[in-house]
Amino acid sequence: MKPNVTAAAKPPVKVVLVEDKPGVRESWVKLINSLPGFNCVQTCASGEDALRVIPNVNPDVVLMDIFLPRMSGIECTARLKLQLPKIQILILTAVEDDELVFMALEAGADGYLLKRTTPEDLEAAMRDVLGGGAPMTSEIARRVVESFRRTGRQPKPDVRLSAREEEVLILLSKGYSNKEIAGQLSIGAETVGSHLKHIYEKMHVRSRAEAVARYMTGKA
Amino acid sequence: MPPSKTKSPVSKLAWRPAGVLALLFFIFFLTGKIRADEPGATNAVNWVVQATNQLGQWIWETNAFDKQTVRLWRAFEIPAGAKVTNATLHITVDNGYTLFLDGEEIGRGSDWRTVTEYDITQLLAPGRHVLAVEGFNDRLEGGLIFGLRVCSANRPMVEVRSDDFWRITAQTRRNWADKVLVAASHRAKIIGPMHSHPWEVWPYGIARVQPLQPVIVHFWQRGWVQLALLAVCAGAVLFCLWLWTQLSAQSKAQKFLQVERARIARDIHDDLGAQLTQLLLLGEVAQREQPEDSPARGQFTQICAGARELAHAMDEVVWAVNSRRDTVRDFTSYVCKYAQIFLSATAIRCRLDVEPEMPAAVFDLPVRRNLFLAVKEALNNAAKHSQAKELFLRIYRRGQKLSVVVEDDGQGFDPGAADAGRNGLMNMAQRMDEIGGTCGMSSQPGGGCLVIFTVPLAARRRHWFRRTETNGENAGPIEASEIHP
Repeated sequence: MKPNVTAAAKPPVKVVLVEDKPGVRESWVKLINSLPGFNCVQTCASGEDALRVIPNVNPDVVLMDIFLPRMSGIECTARLKLQLPKIQILILTAVEDDELVFMALEAGADGYLLKRTTPEDLEAAMRDVLGGGAPMTSEIARRVVESFRRTGRQPKPDVRLSAREEEVLILLSKGYSNKEIAGQLSIGAETVGSHLKHIYEKMHVRSRAEAVARYMTGKA
Repeated sequence: MPPSKTKSPVSKLAWRPAGVLALLFFIFFLTGKIRADEPGATNAVNWVVQATNQLGQWIWETNAFDKQTVRLWRAFEIPAGAKVTNATLHITVDNGYTLFLDGEEIGRGSDWRTVTEYDITQLLAPGRHVLAVEGFNDRLEGGLIFGLRVCSANRPMVEVRSDDFWRITAQTRRNWADKVLVAASHRAKIIGPMHSHPWEVWPYGIARVQPLQPVIVHFWQRGWVQLALLAVCAGAVLFCLWLWTQLSAQSKAQKFLQVERARIARDIHDDLGAQLTQLLLLGEVAQREQPEDSPARGQFTQICAGARELAHAMDEVVWAVNSRRDTVRDFTSYVCKYAQIFLSATAIRCRLDVEPEMPAAVFDLPVRRNLFLAVKEALNNAAKHSQAKELFLRIYRRGQKLSVVVEDDGQGFDPGAADAGRNGLMNMAQRMDEIGGTCGMSSQPGGGCLVIFTVPLAARRRHWFRRTETNGENAGPIEASEIHP
């Protein structure tokens, strides 16, 4: 990973935090700013706030609390992704609830973090999504496979998993690390990462039509 | 009272003396003809002689008036041990009557001009009996004439006639004709013997009624049996109702428990969890503000690590308590996650082999908790003793059973020589026992170790039951509802 070298030269990564509790928000801001090369440029106290502010700020990474008053973090993610598809959104959650995490990922989130994560892991996760990677746990991988199988035969190939992608997911769901998968499939570790990125994208594409129906109709 | 038939036609036709005699003759002839047509009229004379021996006198209430109902009552006794061979009863009331024996109606009459004969041989057993007559007088004089002869071995044994021993009661209650005369009564008044005025020529015939048979009352027709049956039915209904209320109370309690568990989980998560997260963040920030090698920084690191452990322990409690997590699917993902995190700190690589599409079927707290703790124990054993490179955690269903397999490729051991206390096998077996599951282990030196836990899954019926409950629950506990706008 090169970012550590380039961090000093490059402008700092712009981060926006969406979190409703003021105390927690302050601590997060301090923590993010303490990481080298990261700058928390804006905070939002609600999803509505975030939708108004973020398009103007155009940050690199958004850290989104999953439980927000009124509009949930998941809905906010879905709406943001529709407006700014390139934006990287990491979901922050206090508990590891696969159901919620999966919903967030389907809505367009690029990853998730436990709130009690170490600052090192936070930094790594942000660098990961910025570098085009897509971390995925075995549990989520299993759910992704299940969800794609459940939808059955999709007419468009861009919302169907390729054989290789499914292979990657299944190995991931069995507890193999990215490196191990690369070894097993005789491909590079970066290729595994890009496969995962594609899988996420397909999930977004697949859920977008649904999301449009679910979040946008009669609202916006 | 009898109408005076003979006078009016004569006075009407008096101006035609020639026809009067002829007409009189004709009327006498006609009435004679009518009498001859009456049943028993042919032996009227015989009957009168015979009946006079049996019948008493005309009796009635002191004052007679039109449309009058008089209740006459009389008790008599058949001697103990006597065998009744014949019992004949004669009665007529000017103008009508209802006759009761021991409270049961045995006959009615409205043609007062003939005496009715009842054969009540079958109805009389030794002991006390009660005769009761509800007489009705339409106009003018009223009267009852009555005679009962009870024979034993063809010899008269008991005779009851209409006399002033009969009581007249004003009681109008339904059971006035019963064996005990409850209300105040007074003696009947004798009006005169048979054929006294105004009944000089009445009664003039006799009508016989078929011998009366006692009504056979089967035991199930008796009042107390029916009452008892009714009571049993009522009891059964009440019992069912009670059971039903118990059941609904229990299911309500169950539901309440579910909701309470969800609430506790939410409270822990919302209050404790949020505070802890905040504390942790503050700790991290404070730690970063300290110089790199200051002792305070080390202490902050320790605080943060402790808080993280605390958060982890809290997660486990929340998972165990939260009724929303009572599903096989949730259990599966939780165990997998636990195994991965637990083994990531060791040299063992964790491999998962989980059946896809685990159902959201009910997996009750005691079952999932014990199964989880047993799996935890097995993982612990593997981490401590196996020296394995790889560990497979397999979870699959077979019919209505869920199996969890913990399989490592470590050094294994000889199960025969193994100390059950040390490898926690007893502990695991006990846990499985508690929830109706089984625990098996196979291992050999150098050949790895395999532990398999099998627990029964809840039946479908409960699944449905719980589904509705879970749906209802979603509104409250754990922010699930916030997710759907």
